[in-house]
Amino acid sequence: MNLVSKRAAVLLFFSLLLLIGLSIFSIRYFHKASTWIQHPANKHLFENGKLLSQGAIYDRRGNILVQINDGSINFNEDKTVRTALMHVTGDLGNNVETGALVAFRDKLSGWNIVNGLYSLDKRTISGKEISLTLDAGLCALAYNKLGNRQGAVGVYNYKTGEILCLASSPSFDPLNPPDVKGNPGKYEGVYINRFLSSAYTPGSVFKLVTAAAAIDNIDDNENKTYLCEGNLQIGKDAVTCMSSHGEVTLEQALANSCNCAFARIAIELGKGKLQEYANRAGFNSSLAIDGIKTAVGKVDLAEAKEIDLAWAGIGQYTNTANPLNFMAFMGAIAHNGMRVAPQIIQGGEELLFINTPKKERILSPQTAERLKQMMRNNTLSVYGEGNFKGLELCAKSGTAQVGGEKKPHAWFAGFLDREDFPLAFVVVVENSGSGVKFAAPIAASVLQQAINY
Amino acid sequence: MNGLWENVAKLLELCSAKVAGIFAGNAGLFSYLEMTAGLFTFLVRGIFPLLTAAVLFLCISSLLQNRKEDKIWGYLLAKDGSRIPLKHWENSLGRSKMSDIVIAFAFVSRSHAVLTFRNGVWHITDVGSKGGVEVNGAKVEKSDLVNYGDTISFAGLEMVLAPAEEAGPGRKETAPVSPSPLDKQNKSGLAFTLILLFQILGAVQICISLGEGLVPAVPVTFLIFILSECLFYITVCWWGRGSFDLELLLFFLCGLGLFNIASANPDFLYKQLVAIYLGIVAYTVIGAVIKDPERARKLKYALVATAVVLLALNLTIGETYFGAKRWVDLGFTTFQPSEFVKIAFVMAGTATLDRLLTTRNMTAFIIFAGVCIGALVLMRDFGTVVVFFGAFIVIAFMRSGDLRTIAFISSGAAIGALAVISFIPYIASRFAVWGKVWEYADTAGYQQTRTMIAAASGGLMGVGTGNGFLANVAAAETDLAFGMLCEEWGLLVALMIALVFVFFAIYAVFLAKGCRSSLYAIAACGAASMLLLQAALNILGPMDILPLTGITLPFVSRGGSSMVATWGLLALLKSAGNRFNAGGAGDMT
Repeated sequence: MNLVSKRAAVLLFFSLLLLIGLSIFSIRYFHKASTWIQHPANKHLFENGKLLSQGAIYDRRGNILVQINDGSINFNEDKTVRTALMHVTGDLGNNVETGALVAFRDKLSGWNIVNGLYSLDKRTISGKEISLTLDAGLCALAYNKLGNRQGAVGVYNYKTGEILCLASSPSFDPLNPPDVKGNPGKYEGVYINRFLSSAYTPGSVFKLVTAAAAIDNIDDNENKTYLCEGNLQIGKDAVTCMSSHGEVTLEQALANSCNCAFARIAIELGKGKLQEYANRAGFNSSLAIDGIKTAVGKVDLAEAKEIDLAWAGIGQYTNTANPLNFMAFMGAIAHNGMRVAPQIIQGGEELLFINTPKKERILSPQTAERLKQMMRNNTLSVYGEGNFKGLELCAKSGTAQVGGEKKPHAWFAGFLDREDFPLAFVVVVENSGSGVKFAAPIAASVLQQAINY
Repeated sequence: MNGLWENVAKLLELCSAKVAGIFAGNAGLFSYLEMTAGLFTFLVRGIFPLLTAAVLFLCISSLLQNRKEDKIWGYLLAKDGSRIPLKHWENSLGRSKMSDIVIAFAFVSRSHAVLTFRNGVWHITDVGSKGGVEVNGAKVEKSDLVNYGDTISFAGLEMVLAPAEEAGPGRKETAPVSPSPLDKQNKSGLAFTLILLFQILGAVQICISLGEGLVPAVPVTFLIFILSECLFYITVCWWGRGSFDLELLLFFLCGLGLFNIASANPDFLYKQLVAIYLGIVAYTVIGAVIKDPERARKLKYALVATAVVLLALNLTIGETYFGAKRWVDLGFTTFQPSEFVKIAFVMAGTATLDRLLTTRNMTAFIIFAGVCIGALVLMRDFGTVVVFFGAFIVIAFMRSGDLRTIAFISSGAAIGALAVISFIPYIASRFAVWGKVWEYADTAGYQQTRTMIAAASGGLMGVGTGNGFLANVAAAETDLAFGMLCEEWGLLVALMIALVFVFFAIYAVFLAKGCRSSLYAIAACGAASMLLLQAALNILGPMDILPLTGITLPFVSRGGSSMVATWGLLALLKSAGNRFNAGGAGDMT
């Protein structure tokens, strides 16, 4: 009997197979159920292919951004709001993948993992009302300020993670979709939310990453000086500044955005340290904003030679940055090195029992404090406090060379050092020119409006 | 969890609106009823997963505690005065460590002899030992009777057989740690009460859900079913015979099946009910017949002969539906012979330990397995082929322990399977969509995608029985039964039901340890492997984790033949747990 009963264990192997199958099924279920329910064959949600649910999306002030009623989709009454928030809501053709109509379709349907599509009142499958953290007015202003230029603007609360303002240009009125294919220049990448889904060459704003590494890794960096002669020869190539800055400290180098000094710093740090701080700042990884993943900004120094490392240290080489991810890095500097994950839905993910914003320490409090002082100094000594009255602005500009005949991308990123308005921001204007000239004014008006509400 | 609170809020809102409406005088009795119905659904949805968990916990824990104390059936007294207890009805003796009684002398063969206890008498069988076996000095040729006091010599090593009673009072080597019978009775009683509660609440729920589509068959069926369960419970309690937790589990599964049918195809409710009763009859009869291993052996030959006839009948006069030739029409009803062959197949693989160790040869079983599987291939019932083959592996391994032969047979089968997959268009198309059903959502992946959509719509707690849409898809209550459970009862209940089939397998292995005869151990494991594989194909096929095969979920799916056959298989599992006196004096433990 012993013999036979021992051999019976072969049956356990079979049951293990079923258990594995059930685990695969459960994992898939938890990941994909929200997608599965959206199929038009779902009789709980669709009748003859027509959506039955009654969902709506509001901004933080209760303005309707989009509403689904008896299968038809209604947008905000104001054309500017509709256009400015087209990337947030999505268009009627569902071309914007990060748009709420696509990305939050499951939530709009009223589905959740616990109750499925069960609803109390059987006949009206009541969809859900989603309130976003965005302020439609602020978004519209930012979109208007971008004007005809392509680019992105974002503002978020670095303590709570709430995104207040988001704009991506070009856009269009979802009620009157233009001939996108017929105007490839004007509507280049119009379905992409540039704030979430693009990655630009960062240029000088990346010096903040290099500076963070320098603060932690270079001895006596407060007093150490670097010589800038307007030109730093490395092998056959050279890194240049507009003019010679002379002997500069780290703080001065950041304020003057001195390329030669930061090139020296990058080389002094070496590939490993710069790569480490880039990764910590959020490069080479994606953030999930209520389930929507951002594009990945890249810094890859594996193959970099000395001159490449120098260029990488000042935000050129092959570096790219995602605006939202970079904004979150600004938030981390403002928030003692703690990065609060940005979110766009009020109350956040509802799967969890408790909603606490996801926090991650990416810099030490001392490093963050030092960077903050340096960025404040930038405003006071270079950008001009008068241009940002009352904002307590800490910032860094960037003018990212994109090669060829094209004009550089203008960047302006930073935060307000104010307890009552803990806001971090980013502005990118494509192919426009200097960051201080083209991006900073947009930031100034949007932020002034944000604190004057 | 937020979703839950939201619903509470919504409920309060709804209620207050309705109450206000009643006061305003613009809402009649109808809307009041509606509100009550909505409230009911809301409340029971949360209760069902809890009830399921409680029922399964009570039944399973009780079954696993059910391990009888190691009972001693006799002793072998060695010359040095040591006393070797005989703990089974079949005890192998030999040098091998796997023997029940290990005799570590070089002159004893690895597998020397088997001592068998049947109808109150002991037999010794020489299973091909080198040194031979003698009883009172007379050489045992094949098998011989041994009386108490007789001296058995294993290649010269002498031992005396002694009865269990002589060893002193109690006959039990270790004190039982099992809970008192009263405690157990209470546990089973509680489980039974919870099952009734589940089914009564479910029956009310489905009547509410069906609304205008409600036919009398639905409440009538549940009334009859619930009353029958009560009758069963009263009978067993009055009889006082052993535990019935296994039966309770089956009633629970059958009940869920009835809910699925009521939701999808209420016309078949009475038929299913009859099938359940026939299943119980089959369960009782098979259980009674195989109580005695000798009788079980005879039953085996009868079953094998019937199986061959049935399969031949199926192939000649069978009806073809959906590309598979599985049904035989008897005029008043149709049935699926391959379902009954399952019992014959498992029984054919069984053997008592003495035979198992004497002949060591499975040719007859392999031939029969080949006939069954070949016939099933001709019937194009490939899901069942997989089930049979899985059971074959389990049985063949338990009998031979020979991994090499099994690997050899498996690779042969794999080649055959490959040929089937590539040359039979109906199967090839199913394999073609496997893993990418969403690309063929409205064609070859229709059933799978609908199942997944429905399952996802149910969430963890389900939309309530009778409220699903999968019920309207063809064959939902048979092939897609698990999907219906997910949608209407929720993922939690559905997964727990899936685990019941895993439990059956574990339980079979658990029982095999203390089994009276290897015949029961093999039968139980063979039966459990069939149920397990069938469940796996039914559950994982429509979810696109395995290729889709039209196969039933045991006890839950609609299907008369399948229901009767699965109850029959369960009788084999149950019999492995019975350990009454070999003398048949009715000494129940």
